[in-house]
Amino acid sequence: MERFVIIGAGAAGITAAQTLRAFRPNDVVTVISIDDKIHSRCMLHKFLGHERTAEGINFVGADFFEKNDIYHIPCQTVTKIDTAGKLVYYGDGYNTPYDKLLIATGSGFFIPPIPHFREAPNVFGFRDLSDALKIDDAFAKGKRVFIVGSGLVGLDAASALCQRGAEITIAEMAPRVMPLQTDDYAASVYQKVFEDHGCRFLLGIGAADAVVDGGGNITEVILSTGEHVPCDFIIMAAGVRPRIQIALDSGIAAERAITVDDHLRTSAPDVYAAGDCTGLSGVWPDAMAQGKAAAENMAGIDTVYEKPYPFKNTSNFFGVTMLSVGRMDLTEGADVIVHKTPKEYKKAVITNGKLTGYLSLGDISNHGLYLHLIKNGIDVSEKKDQIFRLTFADFYGINEKNGEFVYTV
Amino acid sequence: MKRIFIDPAKCDGCKNCTLACMASHQDMTPRKGTLAEIRQAMYALDLTDPNTQSRNRIITDGQGGYKPIFCRHCDIPDCAGACMSGALEKNMETGLVEYHSDKCAACYMCVMNCRYGVPAISPDRKRMIKCDFCAHLEEGPACVRACPKKAIEVREV
Amino acid sequence: MNTCTDCLNRNTCASADKPMEGYIRSLPLETAHHRVATQETKCGFGLQGVCCRLCANGPCRITPSAPRGICGASADTIVARNFLRAVAAGSGCYIHVVENTARQLKNTGLHKDKIRSEKALNHLADLLGVTGTDKYDLCVKVADAVLADLYRPEYEGMELVEKLAYAPRVKKWKELGIMPGGAKGEVFNNIVKSSTNLSSDPVEMLVSCLRLGISTGLYGLQLTNLLNDVVLGDPVIRPAPVGMNVINPDYINILITGHQHSLFTYIQDRLLDGDVVAKAKAAGAKGFKLVGCTCVGQDLQLRGEHYTEIFDGHAGNNYISEAVLSCGAIDAVLSEFNCTLPGIETICDELKIKQICLDVVAKKANAEYIPFHYETRQADGDRIIDAVIDAYKARRGNVPMNLFPDHGNKNTLTGVSEGSLRAFLGGSWKPLIDLIVAGKIKGLAGVVGCSSVAYGHDTLTAELAKELIAKDILVLTAGCSSGGLENIGLMTPEAAELAGPNLKAVCKELGIPPVLNFGPCLAIGRLEIVATEIAGELGVDLPQLPLVLSAAQWLEEQALADGAFALALGLPLHLGVPPFITGSKLVTKILTEDMVGLTGGKVIVDPDGKSAANQLEAIIEEKRKALNI
Repeated sequence: MERFVIIGAGAAGITAAQTLRAFRPNDVVTVISIDDKIHSRCMLHKFLGHERTAEGINFVGADFFEKNDIYHIPCQTVTKIDTAGKLVYYGDGYNTPYDKLLIATGSGFFIPPIPHFREAPNVFGFRDLSDALKIDDAFAKGKRVFIVGSGLVGLDAASALCQRGAEITIAEMAPRVMPLQTDDYAASVYQKVFEDHGCRFLLGIGAADAVVDGGGNITEVILSTGEHVPCDFIIMAAGVRPRIQIALDSGIAAERAITVDDHLRTSAPDVYAAGDCTGLSGVWPDAMAQGKAAAENMAGIDTVYEKPYPFKNTSNFFGVTMLSVGRMDLTEGADVIVHKTPKEYKKAVITNGKLTGYLSLGDISNHGLYLHLIKNGIDVSEKKDQIFRLTFADFYGINEKNGEFVYTV
Repeated sequence: MKRIFIDPAKCDGCKNCTLACMASHQDMTPRKGTLAEIRQAMYALDLTDPNTQSRNRIITDGQGGYKPIFCRHCDIPDCAGACMSGALEKNMETGLVEYHSDKCAACYMCVMNCRYGVPAISPDRKRMIKCDFCAHLEEGPACVRACPKKAIEVREV
Repeated sequence: MNTCTDCLNRNTCASADKPMEGYIRSLPLETAHHRVATQETKCGFGLQGVCCRLCANGPCRITPSAPRGICGASADTIVARNFLRAVAAGSGCYIHVVENTARQLKNTGLHKDKIRSEKALNHLADLLGVTGTDKYDLCVKVADAVLADLYRPEYEGMELVEKLAYAPRVKKWKELGIMPGGAKGEVFNNIVKSSTNLSSDPVEMLVSCLRLGISTGLYGLQLTNLLNDVVLGDPVIRPAPVGMNVINPDYINILITGHQHSLFTYIQDRLLDGDVVAKAKAAGAKGFKLVGCTCVGQDLQLRGEHYTEIFDGHAGNNYISEAVLSCGAIDAVLSEFNCTLPGIETICDELKIKQICLDVVAKKANAEYIPFHYETRQADGDRIIDAVIDAYKARRGNVPMNLFPDHGNKNTLTGVSEGSLRAFLGGSWKPLIDLIVAGKIKGLAGVVGCSSVAYGHDTLTAELAKELIAKDILVLTAGCSSGGLENIGLMTPEAAELAGPNLKAVCKELGIPPVLNFGPCLAIGRLEIVATEIAGELGVDLPQLPLVLSAAQWLEEQALADGAFALALGLPLHLGVPPFITGSKLVTKILTEDMVGLTGGKVIVDPDGKSAANQLEAIIEEKRKALNI
């Protein structure tokens, strides 16, 4: 009987637990997590917006651990891994032995070195349920919210809170909102819809300093322009960092992220890592795929994890939907084709006959193949004039044996 | 598990499958009913309502042929593998990739991730739309029964 | 023995006529009933009327993501255009029938041929305000008056409309601007209107349908009957055999199909002449018999009193013509119009049945075309008779017999018309009105029109009729619905048992069935005369009467033109399946709701007999209430 321990109950950790259980019905699977409730980080805004309860953003069902006979150790922080003795220490000195260990600690929010920001008790991240609970408490006391960063996390928080009547100011260092996913036009559409819902954007502007009260709470953010913006609390959404402290403390190789090989093995024997903490990708589907691959290797099924394609996202704010895949920013020597109607906006970047970026704002139904084309570097030079109308029919193939589709290129 | 097998050579592009699918999912809520009732529902089908959306698509290949695109309920589903709400799930017993709209956060990761471009988004942007194998029909998928050419048929895999 | 009944069930469609269903299922030949299964899948765009093939850009089909055709036509335009085209074509069919019928009457007058009802001639002359020097001249004058109207241009109003129609209706039609121009011109004009990139106005096109409906109803239906009465004789109420039992294999049997009864006048008399009978006998038969099928069979049955010797009876409606031919004892098919199903061709080939066609509009691919010309009818008639005798000789003994002598019944009440029924009631509608007022008869329902098979052969018609009579509603039929209902016995006096208690008592007292058969679809015009006369006696307009119509199993474009007349008359019209309009919310709403405010009529679509009967009953109750009865 083998003992499998997983640190973290996010997309990677839970998928790994599920996978291990499927392959090893009789072995022990243990999950140690900071939160007591499993939740989908990508749905935190639903919780913060009071559209759903904590149970409502559970992505596997309330009875997940019982149903799968997985031992869950909630509300515990792992302090150290004894890689030689194969023990995981958590809480106040408790430990649990492992035969195979998975680190799936995810990533945490990052606070830039702005005076007072790192110390102030009213500066929150928006990564975990615990963050959302803190914001919820703070919001009960004051509705003026200052958000640093207009990426997906910042806008998620903004969309949730403005539905609850918050007075929101969002500072973005870049000249447009969601700078990583959009271009100027798409950004302007999103900016407008947020402004229509009462949000204020400060673009190309950063927070430079703060005014604090006696308790150290920030009461005013001082902008790079010198302007003072009064606020009740601050949400940091200016980027994330892989959570690697446990690796560093345990002698497991890590730089910006935990170092893994193509089997998601770390430098320590029988210790694997998956999800955001590997720094390979920051999106949900890749975290799930890594959790699955790592678990398969832990279960003895040789699985090579292919490097993910991290440049991909979809967004849906106030019903404005967007799909953004590939590198919209790399346009040097590329053909950039744009299609724009009152209801739709589409943009394709084609480099050396291959699609390298695709953005679509509006009805993104059936758009999945564009990610596949970009990820796999499929030649579309013959299809340039119909780039916005491509469907799987253009690459149609059927596996006669099992009836599944296959790409024909 | 069962899968709808496609023989594109037999497809005439009549779109009966498309309309059958629309009728079967009218008002975007599953309807209990016999196929005879579904045929009757065809008359009531609102072909101008964007909510009346088909889960399958027939695409002309420009050379006189047609390419039917139907959800494969893949063995390893891209869509469920991307779902961050647990709304999409591969049912290991039936083999179907099931969708639970009550769980869905409408993030559309599934739309992005399905390499065959099957998932669509609902006009209200609150749900995704994909084949449910007409789970509400005892007779099985309405599209299959509606195909006059037998270009699609349910087979065990 | 292990019989797979389920497989058999799937083989042919259900029929209201269970013995017939079994007979057809066991046939070694393919019929429409078998093809229902292979045509089970219907095109959804077609069903909804949103497939447009009017130009080479098409076919265009409307979907939520493609709300307009390439030309820009909306679902409303496409549906209205398709519907108008169908109504115009249907009108054309009936106008063709009345045109030939009027020409026949004119030729009868010109050649001083046999006139079977001078009473009918005088009645018609009075109605139209025509006088003549003698009865033959009167035939010519009456026919000329009708033909002149038919041939009038579309921009000239037809003169007889006001003489034929009920005055309050004429007033309404004038208000709505739907008094029709020349009947043929109307058809022509509306075919133009509904062509490529012409009218896109759904409302105007629906108004045009009403205008077509009026010319169809008054001329194609009502006048055809009245003209035929002169040449063919007045209907007389009598019991008659119906169903396949009417076929006597000892005779040379000719199955007649079509709608233009007067084209058969000559030949049906000639078949009784001694020299012709002698020829038949020389060939080994006892003589000739006509076997009725489709509407012309119904018409012959209606006037059967005058043709007892040549006409054995009506075998059934359009959708059992294939079965009737399969019995082996039919030697020839003589056809002049629809519904002559193309499906009979393979059966005729297989069973060596001679097909002869008298009117090119109904030319069957393997039929010999012998056009009917009044001048050469004697020579042509002898040619036809010889061809039939040849067929008889060639086939009898060489093809298998598959008779069905138990099918149908012997005592169906036939011969009901506006004249014969009024006479039966003692020369006035008062007894009927009294029964309605007293609630013994709750109301009247015309269950008319065609027979279809796609959703069951006569199943809805039969279910609806049974439901209605059980609610004490007297059912009047005309068209192939009659053929279906008579074969299942609803027009026998015994059917009174199926009626509600009040209607049952009335039927028993009068010795009539609860379903009265007016004959062919043309006789829908007779029903409408009955309604008009009752309304006249009550001093009310037609929409006020406790009268509903149902073309439950409407089949073809003619039915839609008839239906348009019903709407123009202001009557509620039930249909079992929608006429390919549901793709347009506007057209559907106008026909099913807004029409009430225009003419008083409306379309009710309901595929279920029980609920349709409930809806129709509710309308009757409502109208009774409004009349304070």
